[in-house]
Amino acid sequence: MFKKFSSEEVTGQNQVKASVQRKIRQNIADEYPDLEPLLDEMLPKKSPLIVAKCQNHINLVVVNNVPLFFNVRDGPYMPTLRLLHQYPGIMKKFRVDRGAIKFVLAGANIMCPGLTSAGGNLDEEVPADSPVAIMAEGKEHALAIGYTKMSAKDIKSINKGIGVDNMHYLNDGLWKTLHLD
Amino acid sequence: MAVKLQPVQVLYCPVCSMPAEYCEFSPEFEKCKSWLIKNAPDLYPQLVQEAADKAAEKLDGLTVGGEEDGVKGEGSSSEPKKEDEVKRLPGGKVKKKVTFEDMQEKPEVVVEKIVRNKRKCVTIIKGLDMFGIKLSEASKKLGKKFASGASVVKGPTDKEQIDVQGDIMYDIVEFITDTWKSVPESAIYFIEDGRKVSANA
Repeated sequence: MFKKFSSEEVTGQNQVKASVQRKIRQNIADEYPDLEPLLDEMLPKKSPLIVAKCQNHINLVVVNNVPLFFNVRDGPYMPTLRLLHQYPGIMKKFRVDRGAIKFVLAGANIMCPGLTSAGGNLDEEVPADSPVAIMAEGKEHALAIGYTKMSAKDIKSINKGIGVDNMHYLNDGLWKTLHLD
Repeated sequence: MAVKLQPVQVLYCPVCSMPAEYCEFSPEFEKCKSWLIKNAPDLYPQLVQEAADKAAEKLDGLTVGGEEDGVKGEGSSSEPKKEDEVKRLPGGKVKKKVTFEDMQEKPEVVVEKIVRNKRKCVTIIKGLDMFGIKLSEASKKLGKKFASGASVVKGPTDKEQIDVQGDIMYDIVEFITDTWKSVPESAIYFIEDGRKVSANA
């Protein structure tokens, strides 16, 4: 999704109203309860919260020129990988096997077999259509952020096709966008 | 869980920007290696081993010291074949470096267009001073020719450059070569998509 993302894709940035700001905070807090105590630090009430609209209905939540969260249309907010690396505990985790890493890093969606094989691991409670962190076998940090296409149980039972949509992965356009101004 | 989470410090590789443990999947793994050996030896023990082996080999005089610690990547991952292909790259890399340095020494004019507010842009001309051209005069001439604002601005690293309002890429080359005969066309470069492109191509 962010494969070819660059700052040129930002079609408009605006500082959002306080009410919208509150809504975004609430959404993020609902999605990631562990992050809630940190939100004051991350999204200070004083400093302006900027929402950058990009192509393909992507919104980026930007604080101090650093993109922190993104979402698609009205979907759930997802942290950027840099943020997730700092707070790895906030998201549900899926793990892919070693063979899948290079495809994921090229932007491929995560196929079920990569999650169900020996190197993979699933968080059983994840329903369909929810954001997950994609970890990798033998690695400590997340390599992608995905959006489940089916629930974890379905992934196990069907074991075929796309299990998780790859939203954001290491070295994609968003990853390379350290600052947005 | 109301416990405040502490941010985890992640070691990022400066070469490929990914966390060090993912370097092996980077297309530039070869370039990462020397950094990895220094900064994250525990992640890739076999690399360190290789480097040590290589140094030992060199001491023994078994290898001809052509490539300076280009770090061979033998069997560091599951695909030795691919590694083989990459291995030949260091020679090319070295070459590139040399030409880059040459370019740095040669006086050249670099023209760059920066887009702001979508449709408005500024053309930045760097390096005219290297040809002994007075920048203030040059900016006046440019302003007159293109009927727009042109100013001398202190750019990054204290080098002075000329900012001209508007997109004047289309005939900047002609103008420069006509006005200042000392500037050859071959010394003018455009920056397109972050790459340097010669203007006379």
